[in-house]
Amino acid sequence: MKKIILSGALILVAAASFSQLDRSVRPKAGTPPTINIKDSEVFTTENGITVILSENHKLPKVSIRLVTGSDPMNEGSKAGLSKIAGQLIMSGTTNRSKDKLDAEVDYIGATLNADGESMYLSCLTKHVEKGLTLMTDVLYNANFPDSEFERIKKQNESALLSAKSSPDEMSDNAERKANFPNGHPYGEIMTEATLAAINKADVESYFKKVFTPRGSYLVIVGDVNKAQATEMVNKYFSTWKGGPVYKAELGEGQFNKGNRVIFVKKPGAVQSKVTVTFPVKMKPGQPNQLPLTVTNGILGGGGFGTRLMQNLREDKAYTYGCYSGIDITDNGSWFSASGNFRNDVTDSAIVQILKELDNIGNSYVKESEINLTKSAMAGGFARSLENPQTIARFALNIIQNNLPKDYYQTYLKRLDAVNTENVLEMAQTYFTSKNCNIIVVGNEEIIEKLKVFDADGKIEMFDAFGNVAKEVKPADITKDQLIEKYIFANTGTTTMKAANKVIKKVKSVKQVMEMSAQQIPAPLTMTTFFVAPNKEAMKIEMQGMMIQKEYFDGKVGASSNMQTGKKDLTAEEIASKQKSAGLFPELTYSTSGLKVDLIGIEEVNNTEAYVLKIVDGEKQSFDYFDMKTFMKIKSVSIQKQGEEVIEASRSFSDFKTVNGLQFPHTMTLMMGELGLNGKVISIEVNGTVDETIFK
Amino acid sequence: MNRLNMKKHLFAIAALTLVGNVWSQRKIEYVEYDLPNGIHVILHEEHATPIVAVSIMYHVGSKNEIPTRTGFAHFFEHLLFEGSTNIGRGEYSELVEKNGGALNANTSQDRTYYYELLPSNQLELGLWLESERLLHAKVDNTGIETQRQVVKEEKRQRVDNQPYASFLTEMFARMYQKHPYKWQPIGSMEHLDAAQEEDYVNFYRTFYVPSNSVLSIAGDINIEETKKWIATYYGSIPSGQAINLFRDFENQSDEAFLKTYGIAKTKFDAKNFLGSKDAEAQKVIKKYSAMPTVIPRPERNEPPFKGVVIDTVYDNIELPAVFMGYRLPEQTNPDAYALDMLNTVLSGGTSSRMNKNIVEKKQLAMAAFSFAFPLEDPGLGLVAAIGSANVDLITLQNALDEEVKSVQDALISQEEFEKLRNGKENDIISAYSSVAGIAENLAQNYMYMGSTALINSELTKYMAVTREDIQKVAKKYFTPENRVILYYLPKPKN
Repeated sequence: MKKIILSGALILVAAASFSQLDRSVRPKAGTPPTINIKDSEVFTTENGITVILSENHKLPKVSIRLVTGSDPMNEGSKAGLSKIAGQLIMSGTTNRSKDKLDAEVDYIGATLNADGESMYLSCLTKHVEKGLTLMTDVLYNANFPDSEFERIKKQNESALLSAKSSPDEMSDNAERKANFPNGHPYGEIMTEATLAAINKADVESYFKKVFTPRGSYLVIVGDVNKAQATEMVNKYFSTWKGGPVYKAELGEGQFNKGNRVIFVKKPGAVQSKVTVTFPVKMKPGQPNQLPLTVTNGILGGGGFGTRLMQNLREDKAYTYGCYSGIDITDNGSWFSASGNFRNDVTDSAIVQILKELDNIGNSYVKESEINLTKSAMAGGFARSLENPQTIARFALNIIQNNLPKDYYQTYLKRLDAVNTENVLEMAQTYFTSKNCNIIVVGNEEIIEKLKVFDADGKIEMFDAFGNVAKEVKPADITKDQLIEKYIFANTGTTTMKAANKVIKKVKSVKQVMEMSAQQIPAPLTMTTFFVAPNKEAMKIEMQGMMIQKEYFDGKVGASSNMQTGKKDLTAEEIASKQKSAGLFPELTYSTSGLKVDLIGIEEVNNTEAYVLKIVDGEKQSFDYFDMKTFMKIKSVSIQKQGEEVIEASRSFSDFKTVNGLQFPHTMTLMMGELGLNGKVISIEVNGTVDETIFK
Repeated sequence: MNRLNMKKHLFAIAALTLVGNVWSQRKIEYVEYDLPNGIHVILHEEHATPIVAVSIMYHVGSKNEIPTRTGFAHFFEHLLFEGSTNIGRGEYSELVEKNGGALNANTSQDRTYYYELLPSNQLELGLWLESERLLHAKVDNTGIETQRQVVKEEKRQRVDNQPYASFLTEMFARMYQKHPYKWQPIGSMEHLDAAQEEDYVNFYRTFYVPSNSVLSIAGDINIEETKKWIATYYGSIPSGQAINLFRDFENQSDEAFLKTYGIAKTKFDAKNFLGSKDAEAQKVIKKYSAMPTVIPRPERNEPPFKGVVIDTVYDNIELPAVFMGYRLPEQTNPDAYALDMLNTVLSGGTSSRMNKNIVEKKQLAMAAFSFAFPLEDPGLGLVAAIGSANVDLITLQNALDEEVKSVQDALISQEEFEKLRNGKENDIISAYSSVAGIAENLAQNYMYMGSTALINSELTKYMAVTREDIQKVAKKYFTPENRVILYYLPKPKN
């Protein structure tokens, strides 16, 4: 009995201490923590380096970031130089080949990398001597080998090709040009021409000019004390010599009077990428930066709860996502809000984005809105501090922008203090719905509906790289004349009768092409077959292994690939094939039921070309014919498969005569991110074709 | 080199050696204790960053499943985000994000792990969230149906649509006869479909109990304050079978509860269950608190793997591949460290032996790798390669065998050994750079490595491995006469 009472009492005691807990009540946050970022040590060297030391002995690791002090330079006709140079810095030194350099970095388990403006080393403290030896070998003796120079240039050529079909890149390029025109480095965009103009000497002189000790910063973070850091800097960086640092007053970008609509054509697009953007008069660390960032967070800074998301996604279902952001830099700052929208709601989406830009400056935001944004920002900030690179960035920002030493220490407190009045003031001061650049990358068909947004009703047309697009000129011939001239040019004739005679003689064509791409380890072999009057087939092999095959024997056909197996052509696909079969499908355009229009004359691949648009149900294509030679130099096909839009673009060049017919001997194929460069290995006309290919 | 420079150099070396010593003395401090209901608590306090990782590791993985209900442990990793008695459906992640945090979970053969990374002033919120999940998560048909679709999508994305991804399933299925390691955590979708709400509820009642959990917290915390909150939120969770008594009290109808327990629900205090004043209620609580929850754990009854099993798998792939599996010891075995280092010699990074010889030099493979699955019960080691085009698999297999044999026949070079140690040291040190990593490591060490303290001796253990040890484990475990060989071939066309 006694025992029971005792345990009963125990339970009561235990229960008493728990009785306070009501589980339905959610715990409240404690007071926001302050940040333990120790002040950095700062000292300068005789050769002009500012050393920032942020001691952190939590782990026996050190990171050393070298940041050059030059402002971005005008690159003009060599736009993209800093990017190319950056990609080449780690390509080897006069002492170490690239392989050897990589192996030595590996040996000590370190990270060493570089870009056009900086270099970064991270390793265990005990390997820092070796790490610095490697880092400074690159800094003093990088030698930019020819082979790597060529490789990097090739890689960028492919990247530029894919940029032409990427709405994001096209939009980004237009945005930079619109906000920062007139030679501001932010508005300089690499194109095929500027890339071609960059040579090795440019890279070498860029590297020499930018990587100079004067005005540079050496940010040392981690497990070293001041004496050790001083020792390291003396030993490895005191002999570094270089010219003056490049400084320029770059301005704040171009502020519009009235809205300006910029359109970038993406033929056949089913959705538009819309970007509403304008420069912002703000430098890093200015008092308004934080409240402005909060304001942007409420408008569209991320997550589902923002105004743009709630309005355009949750309420109107115009898009999967619509976000806004502010980039704040020393050389220019800008705001942008963007999203992808179906063609038919593109204009409505712009209306709503502009409306949200207005609304946030018209009345106070809700407490729940500001709290959500502030909490998310505070959490993100706190979590980011675990990464030593964040601390390094903070230390550098403080010095570079002359911020108070405790700028980041007090960040959370200052964030917490931002109120709805601040937000209203920020929106009224910095946001506008009346002086924006409204950039739309999309289908030309929607262009009329966008005129209302432009202050003067005139829409500017940009190309993929943010340059003013050459206008489409009306064609000076009819589409039938064009097709005739194309046939004449291909067959080397001047009458249709003669042309038909040449074409009739062609019983078969077999063409073998080697295709290579950055992303594919070994070249692909593509073989195409044609057997008169209307059989065609294509196979792609990699080192003898069949990857893909398609055929059409005039009546039926199929396509097969390794992944999905064989699929017979559907009735619609057969009908479509029949409409465009033959050596020159153009000959039957008038009778095939395809919708064919000659749009006009456009510049493509630096050549003036007639543009022919062919629509076949859900599938459309654009063919470009050289105005002078009448050769087909480009063909873009756009096909909808379910929700997905598949776009393939082929460019042809290097035309040569084979058996009286013109054949391109070089081809580039772009499909999404994948770019293939093809070279003809052989073309055989009227040889025997193994008929099994049509099975 | 002149004298002055030499002196400078020596100074630098001395200074750096000193720093090196500082590391070996640095310890990850922690306190650990058990709550009366059996929850094991581990707390690590550090103030470098104002964040805190709140985590619970449950000692339940796919090896605790029954053969006709595979995939349950992983399924729960999804289901337990559906909410609780006090957290609405879908509100779990919303609450974390709204308060500046991030969250996630993962499942292995041996355990299920949940964590939140929060600003440190939200520690109490994290504790409450995890205590809700443990005490009375929503396990009902609505949530089960939603998560079935999510898990199926995950399997489609991660397993079915990934070339070669079936090798885990295929390999473990052949390596084990009896032990539940023979199925993978993702499990069977048919089993998940066939299971009823009751099956799921029972799984929750069996494995999601205090005595099967480790609460591990690391970061910017005050230990005393944290202990107080833990006492409040976790001390109030009933022990033994009383937790299920409480769950039934919340979920069952009056009649059902009366039928099960022979006492009316009204006798209990809904607001203060453990403190219910009614004597009869107290008696029932006491009875069930004393009734331990028996956690079913599989026996280590798997016979040693003898002989060679060879099989072919046809997959949607372009290039053929070979996967060879060897039986390895349980992860607490002292050989585990040397085995891990052996794998690094063979395939860690671009300058590893397999990559250099098989991929780069001989160009027989697109990729070649070896890795171990260290598990609580005896696990599995894998040596594998995806062939280059037109390379036959026997040539490839021979090349892999040759690399293994070379480690068995001769000691690795001193230089290779140094690179290995450098890399390992860097990995281990970097793993402790985040509080999330520390919290998980502490829980893991306690749960199956037998000692939380291992976190401070892991590096020493690795550094104690000799070249001879590496050779020894290569010989001991990688025996060509005892293994599973799987050939992966492209599915025949048409």
